[in-house]
Amino acid sequence: MSALVSEVGTRTAAAAHNLVKVYGKGDTAVRALDGINVAFEAGRFTAIMGPSGSGKSTLMHCLAGLDTVDGGSIHIGQTEITKLNDKDLTKLRRDRVGFVFQAFNLLPTLTAQQNILLGLELAGRKPDQQWFDTIVNVLGLRDRLHHRPTELSGGQQQRVACARALVARPEVIFADEPTGNLDSRSGAEVLDFLRMSVRKLGQTVIMVTHDPVAASYADRVVLLADGRLAGEIHQPTTESVVNALTHLGA
Amino acid sequence: MLKTILAGLRARTARLVLSSIAIALGVAFVTGTLVLGDAVEAQTRDNFARSARNVDAAVHLADNSDNTVMRDGIPADVLQKVRSTQGVAGADSREYASAALLGSDGKARNAAVQPLPSTEKLRDFNLKEGKFPAKADEAAIDVKTAQIAKLKVGDKLKLLDKDNVEHSFSIVGTYQQGASSMSMSGSDHVVVSPEGLRTIVPDQRIYEIVAVAAPGVSQQQLVDNIGKAIGSGYKVQTGEQLTQETLAQVGDAAGEIKTFLLAFAAISLIVAGMVIYNTFTILVAQRTRELALLRCVGAERGQVFRSVLAEALFMGLVASVLGILGGLGVSAGLQALVGTVGGPSGDDVQIRLPISWVTIAAGFGVGVLVTVLSAVLPARRATKVAPVAALRSQPDSHDDVARTGKVRIIVASLIALIGAAGVYFGLQQEKEEPAMFITGGAVMVLLLAVLLVGPLYVPLVNRLFGKALRGVPAKLASANAGRNPKRTAATTAALMIGVTIVAMVTVVAGSGRETMNQQVDKRFPADYEVSSNVWNQPLTQKFADELSKVRNVSQIAPELSAYGESDKLKYGDVTGYPADAIGSLVRPELAGGTLTGLKDNEIILREKEAKEAGLSIGSSLKISDKEFKVVALIKDNSYGAGIVTLPAAQSILKDNAPKGYQKLLVKLAPGTDIAVARADLERVIATSPVAVLNSAAETKAELNSQIDQVLLFIWALVGLALIIALFGIANTLTLSVLERTRESALLRALGLTRGQLRQMLVVESILMALIGAVVGVLLGAGFGWLLVQAISNAEFQISFAIPFGQIGVMLGLAVIAAVIAAALPARRAARNSVVAGMAEA
Repeated sequence: MSALVSEVGTRTAAAAHNLVKVYGKGDTAVRALDGINVAFEAGRFTAIMGPSGSGKSTLMHCLAGLDTVDGGSIHIGQTEITKLNDKDLTKLRRDRVGFVFQAFNLLPTLTAQQNILLGLELAGRKPDQQWFDTIVNVLGLRDRLHHRPTELSGGQQQRVACARALVARPEVIFADEPTGNLDSRSGAEVLDFLRMSVRKLGQTVIMVTHDPVAASYADRVVLLADGRLAGEIHQPTTESVVNALTHLGA
Repeated sequence: MLKTILAGLRARTARLVLSSIAIALGVAFVTGTLVLGDAVEAQTRDNFARSARNVDAAVHLADNSDNTVMRDGIPADVLQKVRSTQGVAGADSREYASAALLGSDGKARNAAVQPLPSTEKLRDFNLKEGKFPAKADEAAIDVKTAQIAKLKVGDKLKLLDKDNVEHSFSIVGTYQQGASSMSMSGSDHVVVSPEGLRTIVPDQRIYEIVAVAAPGVSQQQLVDNIGKAIGSGYKVQTGEQLTQETLAQVGDAAGEIKTFLLAFAAISLIVAGMVIYNTFTILVAQRTRELALLRCVGAERGQVFRSVLAEALFMGLVASVLGILGGLGVSAGLQALVGTVGGPSGDDVQIRLPISWVTIAAGFGVGVLVTVLSAVLPARRATKVAPVAALRSQPDSHDDVARTGKVRIIVASLIALIGAAGVYFGLQQEKEEPAMFITGGAVMVLLLAVLLVGPLYVPLVNRLFGKALRGVPAKLASANAGRNPKRTAATTAALMIGVTIVAMVTVVAGSGRETMNQQVDKRFPADYEVSSNVWNQPLTQKFADELSKVRNVSQIAPELSAYGESDKLKYGDVTGYPADAIGSLVRPELAGGTLTGLKDNEIILREKEAKEAGLSIGSSLKISDKEFKVVALIKDNSYGAGIVTLPAAQSILKDNAPKGYQKLLVKLAPGTDIAVARADLERVIATSPVAVLNSAAETKAELNSQIDQVLLFIWALVGLALIIALFGIANTLTLSVLERTRESALLRALGLTRGQLRQMLVVESILMALIGAVVGVLLGAGFGWLLVQAISNAEFQISFAIPFGQIGVMLGLAVIAAVIAAALPARRAARNSVVAGMAEA
């Protein structure tokens, strides 16, 4: 165990070990995650794929410390987050993890800028102005900073969410179907940006998606079926992902 | 469709329960106040009608009898005639005498002595303990009198007659009397046998003869028989007529308190209506998507609309029933409170719960009508939107957070203009009462205008408060409170109404208290006042002389009130003081002329009386054939028509009036220790059974305690409105929390701790409460100032004073209540799991 941690710690941003998550009790119990072992390398863009009900979203929620687990362990960096209490978990999310959700990423009461800086403010950290400017310029949000979410398009809202995730330079960014609600063009913009943040800015991104096109932006695709690992693809293309999914019966 | 409605009701139990509680509370308050009003009226009627109970015929002197007949009352032989009239089963005279009652402390008090009616049915008192007096040396006393004079059954009752001769009775019972002009005057009350009464007052003065009919004789027959038997010069009425007449007199007294309570019922109606409206607006707004889905799957607009109405109707009905029951409880509680505070009839208060159709109608009206109306507007809005658009809409997006409309601003401005005109008109009024009512009504109209434009200034106030806040959760709270100005305005409005009224009443009462204290200081330059406890037993010259011999007493000024007929004044009542005391110990507010050096043929006249009679300084007038020259005018109204010298007052005094002084003003030598002086004075005072010692400080304390009692009652009533308003805040918060589940989850995912999430909601609650309370206090103080200005006139100036202590307490309470209101919603929000929250649609 300790060997694993030290070995993992040097190269791995997040890892799950024998991860089990059960919904319900007795006869109706469903093992959403059934003993998953997986590691995500730092500085890479990984996609988690699988058919509906395969447990991909549950895996992400557990990895990000949003949900509790019923067995096994999860590490973010060198921290075993399955041992943390709610307060420490909250702190971990605040300081070391970034999120981009499918929808409803932003607080309607705050402007785009306030939304981007919300995580930092919660942590009581000062934003790095240069870094903030870089992100805002790259994402093309400069003239949208003082708008509220209802005044932004879906793609713009998602880019604000990306900016928020990046501005704190977290160890891992979790993206849950980030393009699910977007048209293909806005989706491509967001995915381009996520890939660029990994290649040029050295970020680690773990993305859940069911879209083979989205998955093809990643460096590696992890396939899930029935709560178990069902293979992986390195340097995926849309075709190779579609192929692999067809074999899973999705 | 019915199935869908029922399923919907089941699925949203939690939200519906909350809304139902809001409705039920509102209904409870309205019915409670109405029931209380009816109870007070019933209580009063019952009390007053007691003097007419069982009476079948009553004989009074004819209204046009001349003065001598009026003075002597009904001759005693008329009673005999009535008793022997055919059809009379029993008859009794009603009369009373004034005597001084010696308490166990040896101090005399005014007491009314009544003879016990020999006919049992005609006794207008209820026996509490022991028995009624049967022999000439027995007496029964009123329970309250027994309490105050510390007497009980078995004790000796000592009464002093007009010539200070002591008469002793043994107390054989206690009784509770009905309210009458005597019991309401607060004077003590005892009952003796008719023979016993004759030992105290030899002369009878019968004011009423009452009779019961023999079986089978109607009231009208009895009246006819008696009328024939006693001849002309009398007014004979049936018992029914007497009851009606008595009640008509009572109507005025009971009507006042009823008006007062109705005003509170109206306030409660508005407050409850606002809370219900707000709750339902939020409820339907939250369901916009669900309603849109129904439309998408094929429901017609009308069907959706009707389903919302049916649901509202159902909720309104259920909650109204609960609310009306709760209202009875509220009323019982308030009556118990009045009982402990000590209303006019003290322990005579019994809890009554009269339920009139007006109460039921008002209860259901508020509960059902307001609920349905509150549902109609948002439901219309919800069904107007294209189904698909509604499905996409986010809570608090553009559509529901429409800015305050121009129409609203125009309407509010018009209402404000009407209110301002009313205030202006009220301020012009000379008389105190119309000025108070007109201005009071007008400021309520102004309040309505202010409430209407709430969505305009509430966000501003919120931003102002938000600036003072530090930390992310607090800033988020401020943003949340500002996200839907209409909702926040409606939530705070309920509280604002309550606080405005409390603040207004408190400010007016506080100003009144302040003014009275100043007046007391000004009017009582004397250190002490010794007065007689019994009005027809004044303090003697001998007593005054003894008092002046007490060490450290530098001056004694006797006061003598005299009444005479005047050629020019409407009332020739004057107060006499020694000339050297006028201007020193007696210091009325001067309107012209000089006070000092008053001669026996000169008078200091009240300005108002002078004006009415067309008199001014230098003119002359006659009182009891004595000529007086007006040398000064005063504003104060506590000296009757004016002030004259002591010898002048004595000369006006009628021959048969008791000899002596009503009051002695005592001035101590400078630098005297008040406590020592008081002890010295009390030794002399103990020698007189009727003398009591007052000081300015004690007078102030007494007046203040009276004001405080009234205030306490008002605070209790408005307190209920405040509770409902705070419940409204809790309700809005809870619904907001449900609505913002995903937002809260997002915040938690981004790193907001549970504690911070709770803190956010508590701050939001406090913000809303403070907006309501602070604006309410400001409005209340402003309105209070207007009222004070309106009531004040040339003669009666009220100085405006803000009781900061009480208002501080109120703001503090609002914050505490806000924290309590936020407790449950905050718990709920923090308990939610992040993942479940994110998943919620």
